[in-house]
This record gives sequence, structure tokens and C-alpha cells, in this order.
Amino acid sequence: MIEVVDIHKRYRGRSVLNGASFTVEKGQITCLIGINGAGKSTILKAIMGLTPLKSGTIRIDGQPMDKNLYESIAFIPDHLTMPPGMKLSEGLRFMQDFYQSWNANRAEELMKFFSLDQTERIGNLSKGTAAKFNLVLGLAQDTEYVLMDEPFSGIDMFSRGLIAEVFSSHLIEDRGVLLTTHEIGEVEHLIDRALLMKDGSICRDFQCEQIRSEEGKSIVDVMREVYQS
Amino acid sequence: MKMNEGWTDVTFNGRDPVYLQVVRHFKEQLATGRLEAGQIIPSRRELGAMLKINPNTAQKAYKEMEEQQLIITEGNSPSRITLDDDLLRSIRSELISDAVDAFVVSVRKIDVPVEELLDIVKQKYLESNETERQVQEGGDQA
Repeated sequence: MIEVVDIHKRYRGRSVLNGASFTVEKGQITCLIGINGAGKSTILKAIMGLTPLKSGTIRIDGQPMDKNLYESIAFIPDHLTMPPGMKLSEGLRFMQDFYQSWNANRAEELMKFFSLDQTERIGNLSKGTAAKFNLVLGLAQDTEYVLMDEPFSGIDMFSRGLIAEVFSSHLIEDRGVLLTTHEIGEVEHLIDRALLMKDGSICRDFQCEQIRSEEGKSIVDVMREVYQS
Repeated sequence: MKMNEGWTDVTFNGRDPVYLQVVRHFKEQLATGRLEAGQIIPSRRELGAMLKINPNTAQKAYKEMEEQQLIITEGNSPSRITLDDDLLRSIRSELISDAVDAFVVSVRKIDVPVEELLDIVKQKYLESNETERQVQEGGDQA
């Protein structure tokens, strides 16, 4: 379980995170929803220890973040961070050298699934193809947790379907997944739990099937209540 | 039956629990004979992938169907549709009665004489059958 407890962050005199608290369970897909600039990406970076916090605690399976935990938690940022001059095959090799948790067979399987060409250069990839390769790099690590920042952003509808398919496959099963999005469309029927962010904290935290059966509301209905009032 | 048939084009609405929509889809498949008594159904993981839903949701749908005794899972063998004919027949009547109830509720407000209503229903129903037949024939030629 990833526990985020009362985290605060200020950036350039503005409060970005203002007491956000939540947990991410293993075997569940949790979706962090919020309008642009709500602080979703900052939370992911904070969990990975990539940005300093003013106060608050983050624990992963009870442990504070340290470098060994990078083997059990993968982060897929919203853009590809590999050197553009590398071929895709070299990018995969780079990850293999870097992470013990790298699973080469799974990388192979994902490359086929997304029909990616190993000989292509990373710098020449279109935005959508780069996003797919980014997913390969993150999901091919055998980690307990995966964090994804806007995996659907800027991707055409067919590729979105392909990515959505990954979420319902064994590639995700049993892991704890935390993803961010500002458009719920593709993932509405895929996610277990939704966290709605507003003003730097989590204002709603619910199990999606529960809100449907108990209140007859869709995730979008709840979003409307939160963001239009 | 091919596994994928009738499974890939399921659309879910956002307001009803997804697992109940899955159960309903199974019932529709049974009522129309696309699933048969005793037939082996996809595993939870296969179903999740086909319907593009979370495996947890597929699991929940199967649990619900097990509770309704619609499917049977024994030990480690794959789940099957029940062999209970009475239960299977009752599913068809349940679906029909649900649909008719919903129709009656909405048409009630317009206060149409029942004979007139039945004529319209009959005419529309035959028309929609005809259209479906033409679409299928068109599809076969292409």
C-alpha cells in the first residue's frame, strides 16, 4: 500500500498541495482526477521523491521512499525522458542495465502488442508512438506499483483503445496502479477507485462501483458536483 | 460459438454498476441462445480483456452469477453455464418482463388506448425485424 498523509507543498508563493491524503492499494486501479493545474503530477513526483515537500509523509509498504524502492515502484511520466538519439532497442537495453526489476520478455511482448519498431530512433517517434514506448518502459518493470501521469493525453482514439486494453490485461493485474487524468472517458469502466482533487487536496475518495450502486451516479456525475459548484 | 462473438461490442453506461451490466449481458446472451446450458464461459481474465473492464469487476460479476446460480464453478475447472432449465427459462421471462415494464411506465403517461398501442407495437416490431434482416443480408453480400 502506498500511503500519502497530509502532504503540503508551496511553489513560487502559491500553495500547490494543501493537505492531500490517500492510499493506493495493491490489486486496484486508482485514478487521480483533477482539472489542469490541480497538482496531480506533483503528487506523483512527490511519491517518487522527485520533488521536495514542505510537510507530510509518504510511505510505500510502510517504508519511507529510498533508492531501493525504485525497484518496486515504476513511474511513467507524461513525456518520454530517454535520449532522442537512441534506437528503441538501445532504450530497452538502457533500462535493463539500470533496473534489476526489468523483465525483458515482458518488454518484448509489449513492443509486439503496440507494434513498435526496435530500429526506430526515439527522437523520430510521433507523439502517440512515443507515449506507447513510454508505457513499455514503465510496464516492463516487475514492480508492485505503477504510477502513470496522463497516459491518454494526446493519443489518437485507436491507440487509446489499445492502452485501455493493457489495463484489463495480466500486465496490470495484481499491481497497484495510480494514474492521473483530466478526462475520465477511456478509464471510466476500468478503474476501481477515484480520487478527486481540488485546491491541492483530495475532496472525494470513492469506490466507483459503490457510488454507482448506492447513489446511481457515474464518476462524471460526482465530478460535476465537485467542479461545478 | 466463437469466444469473441457478441462480446467485443458491449457498451456500458456510466451510472449502473459495471458488474451488473456484465451479468445482464450474460442473461441476454442466454435468452437469445448465444450461450447454452452447460457451456464453458471465458475465464475472469479473458472476460476482462474482451470487455475491456477491470479483472476485479469481472470477478465481481462472476461472483454475482454464482450467487444467482447462473454459472457453476467446481474446484479448478473453468466456470460453466448452469444446466438448470427452469432457471434458464426464467431468465428469458425476467428480461422480457423488465423491458415491458420499462416500456409501460413511459407509455402510460401518454394514455393511449391499449388496442391502438398494440397495433403500433406490432407494426414497429415487424419493421425493426425487417430492417435487421436487410442489414444482415447486405452484410452477407459485402
